[in-house]
Amino acid sequence: MAYHALAAVLLPLLAFVINCFIKGKATGWVSTIAILLSAVISIIVFSHTFNGGAIHLSRVWFTIGDTQLYAGLLLNNLSILMLLLVNLIALPVHIFSMAYMGHDQRYGRYFTCLSLFCFSMLALVVVDNMVLFYTFWELVGFSSYLLIGFWYKKEKAIQANKKAFIMNRIGDVGLLIAILVIYAQFHTFDLVKLFGQGGLVSQSFFKDGLWIAPGASIPAIWQYIACGGIFLAVCAKSAQFPLHTWLPDAMEGPTSVSALIHAATMVAAGIFLLGRVYPMFNTAELDALAFIGCFTAFMAATIALTQNDLKRILAFSTISQLGFMVMAMGINAYASSLFHLVTHAFFKCLLFLVAGVVIHEMQHVKDENQLDIDPQNILYMGGLRKRMPLTFIAAIIGGAALVGLPLTSGYLSKDGILIQAFEWSDTKSIGYKIVPIMMLITSWLTAFYVARLIFKVFFGKLRVLDVKPVVICHISDGGWQYRVPLILLSLCCLFPVFSLDPLLYEQSWLFKAFTTADHLERMNIYHTIIPAGLNILSIAVIYLAYAIYIQERKMLPFAQNNWAFDFSYNQWYFNKAYNTIFVKPVLALGSGLFWFDRKVVDGFIRLLQNILLWLSKVADVMDRYVIDGFLHLLTAIVQYIGNFVRSFQTGRVQYYLLSMLAVIVAWFIFKTLI
Amino acid sequence: MNLLTLLIFIPLLFGLLIVVLPSSLRNSYKYITLLAAIVQLGISLLLYSQFKTGAANAGINHENQFQFVQKLPWIQLDLGTMGKMQIDYFVGIDGISITLLVMSALVMVVAAIASWEITKNLKGYFVLFLILDMAVFGVFCSLDFFLFYLFYELMLLPLYFLIGMWGGARREYAAIKFFLYTLFGSVFMLLVMVGLYLSVKDPATGSHTFNIIQMMNPANYDANSIFSTVNHQTLFGFPARTVGFVVLFIAFAIKVPVVPLHTWLPDAHVEAPTAVSIILAGVLLKIGSYGIIRICMGIFPDVAVSGSFALGLLGVISILYGALNALAQRDLKRMIAYSSVSHMGFVLLGIASLTTEGISGAVMQMVSHGFLSSMLFFLVGVIYTRVHDRDIYNFRGLGTLMPQFTVFVMIAFFASLGLPGFSAFIAEAFTLAGTFKSGSINGLLPHWMAACAALGILLSACYFLWTLQRMFFGTERLKGGEEWKHALKDINWREKSALVPLALMALLLGIMPSLVFGKINDSVIALVDFTKQYIR
Amino acid sequence: MISLTHYLVVSAILFCIGLYVVLVKRNAIQILIGIEMMLNAAILNLVAFGQFDRHNNGGQMFALFAIVLAAATTAVALAIVLNVYRRYKTIDPDKVDQLKD
Repeated sequence: MAYHALAAVLLPLLAFVINCFIKGKATGWVSTIAILLSAVISIIVFSHTFNGGAIHLSRVWFTIGDTQLYAGLLLNNLSILMLLLVNLIALPVHIFSMAYMGHDQRYGRYFTCLSLFCFSMLALVVVDNMVLFYTFWELVGFSSYLLIGFWYKKEKAIQANKKAFIMNRIGDVGLLIAILVIYAQFHTFDLVKLFGQGGLVSQSFFKDGLWIAPGASIPAIWQYIACGGIFLAVCAKSAQFPLHTWLPDAMEGPTSVSALIHAATMVAAGIFLLGRVYPMFNTAELDALAFIGCFTAFMAATIALTQNDLKRILAFSTISQLGFMVMAMGINAYASSLFHLVTHAFFKCLLFLVAGVVIHEMQHVKDENQLDIDPQNILYMGGLRKRMPLTFIAAIIGGAALVGLPLTSGYLSKDGILIQAFEWSDTKSIGYKIVPIMMLITSWLTAFYVARLIFKVFFGKLRVLDVKPVVICHISDGGWQYRVPLILLSLCCLFPVFSLDPLLYEQSWLFKAFTTADHLERMNIYHTIIPAGLNILSIAVIYLAYAIYIQERKMLPFAQNNWAFDFSYNQWYFNKAYNTIFVKPVLALGSGLFWFDRKVVDGFIRLLQNILLWLSKVADVMDRYVIDGFLHLLTAIVQYIGNFVRSFQTGRVQYYLLSMLAVIVAWFIFKTLI
Repeated sequence: MNLLTLLIFIPLLFGLLIVVLPSSLRNSYKYITLLAAIVQLGISLLLYSQFKTGAANAGINHENQFQFVQKLPWIQLDLGTMGKMQIDYFVGIDGISITLLVMSALVMVVAAIASWEITKNLKGYFVLFLILDMAVFGVFCSLDFFLFYLFYELMLLPLYFLIGMWGGARREYAAIKFFLYTLFGSVFMLLVMVGLYLSVKDPATGSHTFNIIQMMNPANYDANSIFSTVNHQTLFGFPARTVGFVVLFIAFAIKVPVVPLHTWLPDAHVEAPTAVSIILAGVLLKIGSYGIIRICMGIFPDVAVSGSFALGLLGVISILYGALNALAQRDLKRMIAYSSVSHMGFVLLGIASLTTEGISGAVMQMVSHGFLSSMLFFLVGVIYTRVHDRDIYNFRGLGTLMPQFTVFVMIAFFASLGLPGFSAFIAEAFTLAGTFKSGSINGLLPHWMAACAALGILLSACYFLWTLQRMFFGTERLKGGEEWKHALKDINWREKSALVPLALMALLLGIMPSLVFGKINDSVIALVDFTKQYIR
Repeated sequence: MISLTHYLVVSAILFCIGLYVVLVKRNAIQILIGIEMMLNAAILNLVAFGQFDRHNNGGQMFALFAIVLAAATTAVALAIVLNVYRRYKTIDPDKVDQLKD
């Protein structure tokens, strides 16, 4: 079975390599067939190995010093589920893309990148050690970079993909530091040895400010730093606060890419990481996780309330739902978190594909009428339910799942999380109650913005007619390549796929596969009040939205132009804040250090150079004026003496005689005196 | 015929051939040089395939464990009462050198291909190129300090002329700066070398020797010589061994380059012609770090251990300082020069950690950076030969004009910033792993150094991606307008023939790092054991 | 009595006068006169000392020699002065300073 899984992972890689060398429509078929085969194989693997024992297959990759590094596959429940999920989401997206990108010039490159992404994601979920995990974690980020910036002539797209990669890199640095700490502590990268049942991580403990493991110890701060690193990685990949701002910008890529990567799979990789390394966290860290998730969910939901770009609303909704999943991990609701990951993948992908169809049709309207509108702006849409009935039904199903109304899969997963949130906060101090209460509020906000979205897009009249009254409109549902994926995904958003009992999440096969304790007794009143209260109020909120947007009664609690609206509309001003706090200072630091390098460090060298030149000038002066000057002085003395003596030669005879006399007299005096 | 001697002196033979050929055949010079480089590549691959691994072939401080050894008496002077001066022609390789030899050979082939664009004074250029080629291989293979020093100095002069005559606008300044700066370091090395000579006695012949391997054995030192390990002599108030280590370290640190001794690098790289930049970045920088491993750590391991904190700190500073400076550059070549400073910081950090992962990662980074920086400088050269401008702000949307070129640029950039699947990731990850482990295992480097150095990978993503976004994506807009648009043709097959092998090597080493690790493991383990005894 | 000293003093005075004339006068003939005077002073000295050599009369002999030589010297000197006058049109020794430096 392990080799089957390996084949499923490598098929997209083969498609990638083939697509590098061929062009044209064939690339689409190569990728899609590869994914289809991969999906079939993963279904076979799933049916044989889910809830069986874990399968672990590895070979030596290379040896460094005396440590050996392995490359291998780990197939436990988590891996097999994710393998199946990724394939089942990727298949409809591939089919959708063949039509959606059909007229694009770089069709071939699109499928090359898409296959690379599928390979990376599939490999990520089945690898068995941290080094390979990090490898594919980064490769997933790289494929995302290629796909976000696919339309590389668009200025916004290339800014977005740079931002996405750099923010993901911050997470990667965190993950790398965590891996370094774990390796230094446990001397192995193997996931089973570290995080499996009774693994090395669970054998370690804290004592005297040290983190003690079998065979090594390290100051306890490093355990917190390692967990902090993992948090950073999760925040970056799964777009949690504070590293969430890349995801809305990533919507600049093609919508099918947004559906696959930024809704269902890559962003779920963060949750997957949490699932893999779960035994690492202690209670304090889990609490931190819960708070981060809760805050992010709330924040994103408030922002989604006011956005006008269709894809942006869905992006913030994704951030919010990921916050749910992160929070669920934090409150020990491991199984519910994974459950929500799976259901969210389906309904979010569905919603994005719906958005793709709508935007595609609006683009047609724009092109045929030469209008200057943004095809993604919901303010120009409306009344599309009559023209695109299938898309409308798909949107309703997806939206209902997102809100968590009964009979959908979303109900099962979301209510499970909320119930467990209340149970968890009961075991903690009163301050922790804020988490489940915020989550409840967030759920109602979710209901509101989903309803707003659907009403604005599908109900009322086509508002683009306000811009140009007579408009040629060939809006329809699209060909089979648009319809089939929508139908497939809609079916997966309904409850029968996950549980035969529509109301009890504990009965879901998925939940039972991951849960470790017996939650089957209805322990407390929460299990009835929460689902009932939540859903009744959600329906009330939906009616409120209906009233505001369709019946246009002035019931908005907030005016359009007060501070709360602006705060929400500008995404809580995070982008501006990050630019000022991080981007500009780092660039300024770079410029400053360059100035330092040129003026101070190199300046020091120049100073040495100038000292040397000055010394050489001094030596020159010394040479010319002092040493040579001494010689000149000597000659001048000689010359002076010569001139002096010369003056005695007057040529006058009597003078000579007189001087002779003087000398003789002096001589005699001299002789007598001494 | 000893393979190493052949490897070292083949370029000289080809150089002599070029000297005697008349100028009318000047078009053939580049082919002769390319042929010389390819022959060297062939020999180095042969050496690689015949290289034996295993603990008995580790080398480092056991003379009989080195491979392909040739030891011939070279200069034998009878100095009467002062004994005999004995200098040998002693070449040999161990795990640390072999991978560097193969890498240098490939880089030389690429540089030879890049030399196609040289138009004036061809004879002089190619003869100097081949002399430099010979000197480089000589440095990697020498095991006699005098021979090492000879080849080390021999590298400088051809480079001075190559930069100063065929370079860019400020070439004379850059050439003089490079030459004097490097020479300053190495003249003091000469003093230490002589000091070591007078301190060490060859146990076989009883006379003083320049043999590096014998200098590694403390038993060979005279008890009251200046560098002896028992009698702690002082020099200007500092322990003599520390002074020796520091002087040697400064000489090599200038070459690596280590911040703050790096300011010659941006000028030299920017002003040098493409082929010379490739050799500078690809090979010469590695000679510095090779010197640190072989000579500084080999001969003064006690000082290396006690000074490892400072070395590690210098490494971290180089990583971060180089990366931040790269972020602030406008000139593409200068940005890549600073990124080289940053990547070589990893090498120093890995060496300082004195763990197997750290040193293996450092050697891997040397090999990987050799390939990747050659690729990067070659790519810059492609643009520069076409429009004679390298300013990042003057280009936009090159992706539409030169698509194949952009693919290679993306491969080079992503490989350099440490994308897994390429060699730089393995190198940097294991350097950091070794550095971090050092805190737990041998207590030499604190844990925070690895954490700080990890920021370097974030910064390298920043400047590479910024450049990519700025120059290659977006709509087309060039400072030179239509004239440039016509000049910027996509890469031709000659340029591809240089880039594809480099990209393949980076990918291959990323997927199968055992190609490097398999050969170096035993030597690295031997080196770590050798230094372990000095760690308290 | 007139002792030797008196003769020597007279001779010295005569010598000094002759020296003075040689050194100061601006006429070559006058210089010759001065030289003659110095010679005569020396001859007087010789005669004065001659009183101590009665047997050989050495003093007087030398005095006769000196007189003859003085005459010969004067003849030659006068010939030179005549040639100088012909050449330089003057016999002022100060004006004949061609051998100066």
